[in-house]
Amino acid sequence: MNGASDDAEKASQPYEPWLFQTMLDELSVSELGIGFIYSVLDLLVDRYALSDAVVVLVHDSFGAQLFRAGGGAISVEMAARLGTVPGVYCEPDIVPLVERDAMRTACQLALSLHLARFSAAHDPLTNIANRRSFDSALLAATVRSARYGWAFTLVLADLDGFKIVNDTLGHAFGDDLLRQFGLAMRRSVRSGDLAARIGGDEFAVILSNADGHDSSGFTDRLRTHLGPAREHVGFTIGTASSPRDSTDPAELFRIADARLYEKKGMNHR
Amino acid sequence: MMSPTEEDFELELRSLSGVLNVEIRHRDNGDVDAVTLIVTGQDPSAIRVMATQIVNLYYTEASVIVEDASKAISPREIQAVRVALVRTDFNPENGNCEVELSYSGRMGVGRAGSGQLFGGAEATLAALRELGYNIPFYLLTVMSVATVRGWPVIVTLRPFSEGADMFGIAQSDDDVAAAAAATLDALNRFLTKAPSYQ
Repeated sequence: MNGASDDAEKASQPYEPWLFQTMLDELSVSELGIGFIYSVLDLLVDRYALSDAVVVLVHDSFGAQLFRAGGGAISVEMAARLGTVPGVYCEPDIVPLVERDAMRTACQLALSLHLARFSAAHDPLTNIANRRSFDSALLAATVRSARYGWAFTLVLADLDGFKIVNDTLGHAFGDDLLRQFGLAMRRSVRSGDLAARIGGDEFAVILSNADGHDSSGFTDRLRTHLGPAREHVGFTIGTASSPRDSTDPAELFRIADARLYEKKGMNHR
Repeated sequence: MMSPTEEDFELELRSLSGVLNVEIRHRDNGDVDAVTLIVTGQDPSAIRVMATQIVNLYYTEASVIVEDASKAISPREIQAVRVALVRTDFNPENGNCEVELSYSGRMGVGRAGSGQLFGGAEATLAALRELGYNIPFYLLTVMSVATVRGWPVIVTLRPFSEGADMFGIAQSDDDVAAAAAATLDALNRFLTKAPSYQ
């Protein structure tokens, strides 16, 4: 019996839960996300010796999404052909429907969970870390600082006059300004640093291996990356370093916040 | 395996309105070299601006390519699913052929005992019927298969009543496979419709 016959025999066999088993195996070594979708597509290609496989998902947040085995590009013709009909499409078309349906459901779940995980950790307006992620990262950084002496600097940034911008130019304009500020922060941090939006117009950055004097580099980059948005809004920062100022996250935050408002020329709230 | 960073990178790109597909190409050293987005229904230039911002956050050296799928042919013009020839078999002891076809994951097996060429064509018709194609038995009155070994197989299907002959041609090292493929080729126009499952 040749290879093609072997594949056909597999395809005509009653459904076996190999797919669920391999998906569980995959789950044990990776988180459920986009990488999982590509992994199970590659598994399908290997199992049935397919030349190609594509899954089409339709998601409330993303709309139609197409994933191709191996992460390959999908031509515009193929995208138009597959359109927005959810399913797993294989070449040759020999995979039992029940397995393709199971795979599509698993991929849909993976995409949803990836989005849920991302949303739980990020601010939806700016896509930088949210308060929860920031608190966790600050706690971890202070623990490392206290235990190993690893220095880091906490930078708090507050937009100047943002309320006036919001009131005079509208909330949509204000939101766009926050997006631009978030984008500038992302562009200004180095790999290993963390930028977060911790309140309405309040942002924070954890600068790894910085001792408090190095934050000027970050603020210079932030001003540069803000670009034209600087015409509408400025910002004030306050910094505190660990372990020099404190190794307690709440105390470190309080010190940075006090320095920020000292610079703003007003009393602490 | 994708890194968590690359997964989040792709998630952010896919979250842009109108993005259908993302391809991330790497250099030999593993760095991201280029990102291709297939988009539809939106302003591609606006998507390019937003995508470039995101790409620059993760991989400053990577280039961004945006292709507009809305300019391609519409989904109605092409059938996404088609009949595929999965397997052919011939038993030299009794002269029986077996042809296995699939359509959208469903399997259809047909058998006939008229030798490799005629049997292959007849088994293909039987497999199509098992798939759910309503091919009336009286539709086909003549099936001629003319070949020299190693040359293409030509199948002629003649309607019982009115209508032109349908011709199909295929070549394969295996005569049964060639006859089956030629039969499918002859019925190509007929097979553009989905079968009606019983």
